[in-house]
Amino acid sequence: MINHLIVGPLLLPLLVGTVIVLNTNQPIARLRILGLSSCLAVLVMAGILLFQSAQGPIQSYVLGDWPTPFGIVMVLDRLSAMMLFITALLALLCLAYAARGTDRQGKNFHALFQFQLLGINGAFLTGDIFNLFVFFEIMLLSSYGLVLHGGGNRRTRAGMHYVMLNLVGSSIFLVGVGILYSLLGTLNMADLAVRMSQAPAENAALLQAAGLILFAVFALKAALLPLCFWLPDAYGFTSAPVAALFAVMTKVGVYVILRVYCLIFSEFAGVGANLLSAWLLPAALITLAAGTAGVAGSRDLRRITAYLVIVSVGTLLAVIGTFQREAIAAAIVYLPHTTLMTAGMFLVADLIQRQRPDAGSGLTPDRPVGQPTLLGLLFLAAAVAIAGLPPLSGFFAKVMMLMTVKDNAGAPWIWGMVLGGGLLTLMALGRAGSVIFWKLLPGDDPETGPENTRDSGPVYALADLFPAAALLAISPLLVLFGGMITEFAFAAADHVINPVHYIEAVLGPDRSLPLLYPSGGE
Amino acid sequence: MTLALIPLLPLLGAFIPCLFHNRNLNAASAGVIAGFSLLLLLLQAPAVFTGEMPLYTRSWIPAMGLTFAFRASGFGFLFALLVLGIGLLIILYARYYIAKEDPMGRFYTYLLFFMGSMLGIVLSENLLLLMVFWELTSISSFLLIGFWRHRADARQGAFMALVITGGGGFAMLAGFLLLGHIAGSFELSTVLTAKETVHAHPLYPVTLILILVGAFTKSAQFPFQFWLPHAMAAPTPVSAFLHSATMVKAGVFLLALLVPVLGGSALWFYLVTLTGLITLMFAAYMAMFKDDLKGLLAYSTVSHLGLITLLLGLGTPLAVFAAVFHIFNHAAFKAGLFMLAGIIDHETGTRDIQRLSGLKKAMPVTAVLTLIGCGAMAGVPLFNGFLSKEMFLAETLGPGLTGAMGWIVPLGSTLAAVFAVAYSIRMLHGVFCGKPAEDLPGSPHEPPAGMTLSPAFLMAVCVLVGIFPAFFAGPLVNAGAGAILGPDMPDYHMAVWHGFNMALVLSIIALAGGVIFYLQRQKLFDAHLWFLRYLDGKTLFESLVSGLVQAGYRAIRFLENGSLQRYLFVLISVTLVLGAVPFAVSRTPLLGPVAATPVDPVTLVMGLILIIGAVATVKTHRNRILSIIMLSTVGLVVSLAFTRFSAPDLALTQISVEVVTIILLMMALHLLPTTTPKESSKARQRRDGLLAVLAGGGAAALAMAILTRPYDTISDFFLAHSVPGGGGTNVVNVILVDFRGFDTMGEITVLAIAGLIIYALLHGFERKAPETDDMGHPWTKDRFPMILAYITRPLLPLALLFSAYIFLRGHNDPGGGFIAGLITATVLTLQYIASGIVWTRPRLNFDNHIIMALGLILALGTGLTSWALNYPFLTSTYKYFKLPLIGKFELASAMVFDMGVFLVVVGSVMLMLVKLGSINSEDARTVSTSTHLDETMEDETIEKETH
Amino acid sequence: MEWLVSACFGVMIACGVYLVLRARTFPVILGLTLMGYAVNLFLFLTGRLTTNLPDIISGNQTRYADPLPQALVLTAIVIGFAMIAFVVVLSLRALGELDTDHVDGQQEKPPS
Repeated sequence: MINHLIVGPLLLPLLVGTVIVLNTNQPIARLRILGLSSCLAVLVMAGILLFQSAQGPIQSYVLGDWPTPFGIVMVLDRLSAMMLFITALLALLCLAYAARGTDRQGKNFHALFQFQLLGINGAFLTGDIFNLFVFFEIMLLSSYGLVLHGGGNRRTRAGMHYVMLNLVGSSIFLVGVGILYSLLGTLNMADLAVRMSQAPAENAALLQAAGLILFAVFALKAALLPLCFWLPDAYGFTSAPVAALFAVMTKVGVYVILRVYCLIFSEFAGVGANLLSAWLLPAALITLAAGTAGVAGSRDLRRITAYLVIVSVGTLLAVIGTFQREAIAAAIVYLPHTTLMTAGMFLVADLIQRQRPDAGSGLTPDRPVGQPTLLGLLFLAAAVAIAGLPPLSGFFAKVMMLMTVKDNAGAPWIWGMVLGGGLLTLMALGRAGSVIFWKLLPGDDPETGPENTRDSGPVYALADLFPAAALLAISPLLVLFGGMITEFAFAAADHVINPVHYIEAVLGPDRSLPLLYPSGGE
Repeated sequence: MTLALIPLLPLLGAFIPCLFHNRNLNAASAGVIAGFSLLLLLLQAPAVFTGEMPLYTRSWIPAMGLTFAFRASGFGFLFALLVLGIGLLIILYARYYIAKEDPMGRFYTYLLFFMGSMLGIVLSENLLLLMVFWELTSISSFLLIGFWRHRADARQGAFMALVITGGGGFAMLAGFLLLGHIAGSFELSTVLTAKETVHAHPLYPVTLILILVGAFTKSAQFPFQFWLPHAMAAPTPVSAFLHSATMVKAGVFLLALLVPVLGGSALWFYLVTLTGLITLMFAAYMAMFKDDLKGLLAYSTVSHLGLITLLLGLGTPLAVFAAVFHIFNHAAFKAGLFMLAGIIDHETGTRDIQRLSGLKKAMPVTAVLTLIGCGAMAGVPLFNGFLSKEMFLAETLGPGLTGAMGWIVPLGSTLAAVFAVAYSIRMLHGVFCGKPAEDLPGSPHEPPAGMTLSPAFLMAVCVLVGIFPAFFAGPLVNAGAGAILGPDMPDYHMAVWHGFNMALVLSIIALAGGVIFYLQRQKLFDAHLWFLRYLDGKTLFESLVSGLVQAGYRAIRFLENGSLQRYLFVLISVTLVLGAVPFAVSRTPLLGPVAATPVDPVTLVMGLILIIGAVATVKTHRNRILSIIMLSTVGLVVSLAFTRFSAPDLALTQISVEVVTIILLMMALHLLPTTTPKESSKARQRRDGLLAVLAGGGAAALAMAILTRPYDTISDFFLAHSVPGGGGTNVVNVILVDFRGFDTMGEITVLAIAGLIIYALLHGFERKAPETDDMGHPWTKDRFPMILAYITRPLLPLALLFSAYIFLRGHNDPGGGFIAGLITATVLTLQYIASGIVWTRPRLNFDNHIIMALGLILALGTGLTSWALNYPFLTSTYKYFKLPLIGKFELASAMVFDMGVFLVVVGSVMLMLVKLGSINSEDARTVSTSTHLDETMEDETIEKETH
Repeated sequence: MEWLVSACFGVMIACGVYLVLRARTFPVILGLTLMGYAVNLFLFLTGRLTTNLPDIISGNQTRYADPLPQALVLTAIVIGFAMIAFVVVLSLRALGELDTDHVDGQQEKPPS
């Protein structure tokens, strides 16, 4: 029985995106309904897939019915299922937010949004390295469009940097893929893993170079230092729902790093074995340091949040950089939390910004926001979750990460950076909150408080606040169902860290044998 | 479950007081919740007093060792009773204290939130769970200190408290994780019995220090003490509750809790004892100089916390017993004193001792209550503070203290006791005695009874315990200390009179010294005021914070300088380094065993042309038109190379893409400046040149390394199955539309997206092309040359026919949908170029959006039909037909797919080029006025939407 | 032959890199295009240099050029084209909005 549902999260956005293109001239309400129902349907599908993957083995779907490794294959394991689900959830809420007005600021927002979803989902599902390139390009091109959506000088400038860096990145990606194909003669990632394990020693340097060149590209996408400085402007200046959605884009880089270096360059990979183990942890730690510096030093809530994305990537990859099963499980617990909460913070920052006509999201006093209690509550929840304070999910994810890396040689560094970074984040967000919500304008009377009579931006209806609130409400759920989630994460990590499962699911049980017994014995 | 409900009730019910708009209901609902929690706690009393420890455990996140577990030890019970008992009194008091203008519902919400968190700390069985509640108190304290949000001191005090206690919490978390790791469990019942294991572990010192940092920050121990006085910006009920009676005690609670497992080492002894001693003395000294009543009480609180810490550092059974007793006593008198200070403030409008005086006439009840409180604070006999303080002084003389510690500790303690007496007298005498003050903001009078009730109750406790300690406090303190000490519990009898001993001597010295100090206070003030302001850590803290912010800002400005050139340089360098490292490390040979083939002259010439073209592109890049021509040479040679090396499909594609790209660049150049200014410095050029040469050299070496190595590929499968499986002899095309059709699907999606974005970017974008080029030469006025127009028009049908031919043969010979699409788009574009938009638009009147979308749908639909037959997406089929005249004719589903590709290419390329061509504002305006166009209609719809 | 092709590839990359590092959008686009050409050529080279071999199946032929890299290059060419077209338009738009064709949108370093 073929499980067509696996390609659902790809084909549906593609179809709906196309239909939206056909309906460009229709009233925007219709496009919104189309887009939102597509996101909802993808969420349902992703939910079913998540459930299936939690219950059963890794599934593969061969497009065109050609045998692997010749046809392109989509692979659904627990990790990819989870990524699909997070993306769908985030996309739905971001689109709901955008449907309150952002989508009118330019053309084609809804079509691009669907294509964006297609690209991201494809990158999670594909089991073919060239197809990964194609999905990267879909993802990037739509993201270019979304970053620039609405226009404006700052967006154009930041967008240009983002675009040009990634175009060079795409060229580099092709070089890396080219080297792999030129020596291993295949594109299927499982097949690449098998062939890598059998590659002769004289090809070692070349294959390792291919892996590291690819790492440069993935590091650019994930925003690792020193390749992360396109991000603050691009995320800081684009429209809020887009920035929020992009919280998951850097995670695509993280996901691909996890996938490629635990599969093709895993410990069984012969000449390419453990390729990243010397590189990833240090790179992630300095990223974490730089991100924290940015969080502490930024003078604008939007930019603080953009740097929080870098912090979150640094944290994730530092933990993943240990390449231990438990640590990867912890990273898998942290990933949904950090993605959804930074996204939530982007939306909250935007809500705040719009009610502060003069200062925007900048950390200078302005007249008070119109709805201080509601916005304050949202900000507090986001800040508590992100700074890793209980009772929200950040705390538990952090504890689990710290616990699982404790036996690693780099543990003191990770502990120090994660906890120290947490303190600086707490400081930065505490400062931001107190300036935005408490600090008075110079003319105000410190005893009686601000004059509330002045106009301060739009008054939000429930529907305006809902997407941000819903995103943040996920945090306590992650905590409440922590037991279930950690169990799932461990099972997912099992499949990620041990490439044999993946290879067997894609190529059949016989092909994984060379990996386990490289000498050809037994 | 009742155990878990004690903290959960206030936590979950915290929002309830917020729901009411009536001040009495606000207070009553909070009171009911707290009262119910107290009731549940009292239900545990019988078990606790018989030495049992009720436990409630539920699994939560097993992978982390986190359980939802609560315990009611005697010590926890004592604390919970303080939290709830004083909490209830505070709720009553605050009802009268909080002004009408302030949001009372929110106040009680924060208060209940805090109360639940604090109860969680003292009742947790699991260390991680305790940690959760621990940080919750930091958050709730932040909110409560900042309650008067518009006041700068409240804002700063709240921020400072959050960073210090929250940050300390992070250290403690690390310590807990290590402790749990060493002990093998986070359950307190296990951890507390693991003393030997923990002390023997190499990580013990680190663990201890981390946990101590957490405890010391929370309990405002030196050098973290400074946040507490600034937390006094909170409303007085908060100061009374959090910052004297409960939250700040969490630190000493934790120390006491962990004495059985962490205590008993030299490290513990010195760290804890000395920290306690320094804090005790320093804060008592500071308290004497505070004019603000709450400031005085705050420093006094810090000092008393130091006292308790010192006792726990000593760690003897009697010291622990004294610590527990003092926790209880201090909570009672200090909470009461804060409330009294609040009453004075409330009724007179000031808390400044310098301004207040002679209030005893106007506020006799308050005066009496303050007398009791100050007596207890100073350690005067018959008040509860005396008892525990005397036990403390006795312990400082204990046999455990040898060497220098043997005299430093008792001396310091006595001195601190002297200060304590002095500031207690100052508070009492300064406020209530002397001439009645004249110029107070308010007229002093007794507060409403509801406000006096709470401090009166607490002062009654102070007196009763002070006189009948064994009866009123005995069982509770015994149970509390017993829970910590277990079998080491001393057989101590509480009594007012313990005979004449050394401790009593010290007490008397303290009382006498205190009186003398107070009388001589003016001299002290004169001598010390000048440096007092340096003793406030706030300045240091704030400069530290702003230093960090500045450092972060500078680091980021340095790294993220907004220069694309720098980012690209870094990206390319990183790639280069990453690519080179494996070769540098492994020293495997660069070249493989396969011999290079000889070069033939034609190829050599072509290669040289390519190289010259590429270099010339760089050389001429300031003259933009010239550089485009050079670039096109390179593209041309590349496509020739594809022909040379057996790839006709590629050659066809490359050449048609080449044409369109050049058209595009030319069109863009029409609007861009035609020359590039010289900007880069020589050094920069050299730097970039070096990187370019390195990258190029690396790339060439890489290519060489590959070309000289053998490989085997999966392509044999494609060659073998192309005809039988895919129904086409052009393997490349079959791969594109069948084997790897999904790539193509993605590829046309990319194209379509590009069309969309370009359209969106250019929408509403107008720019007038310059009349002249940068050199000042005017462009030709002949925009649409006649000859070109008359050649291209008849060419159109021919070209379309040709592209149809290319399309149809694609499956078996070089060609296919993509190339055909590009050809079609090119010739259509040529019409625009030759005849102008005004002429062409109405004659080629179709919406390119629709063509593009239809193409995508066609491709998608082809793929989806295989679902109907239960094959995976994009599974192809083909069939041969015999048609008259044409002969054998193949129809493959892949060709329908290819048709989709064709349409997308035509649609998107047209979308791009036509839109680009119509930027020039002159053209565009003529168009929009002259013809009916889909675009103008669109604009109208959009406009309607936005208005 | 291999030497020549490798050299061509290297020179294209070098020129591409140099142009990409310029300060104006136009040379950067030239550089990206050049890099695109180079990378397409490289991808093609992964199937090795085969001269005078067919890639159309016919009965009597046993050796063919590797068709897979060709298919990949085709995809890459198309995607590369889409990207270049986009970036051309983006630079036009940037010129319109920022009134300069400098890649940072301004001559001087951006303020904080």
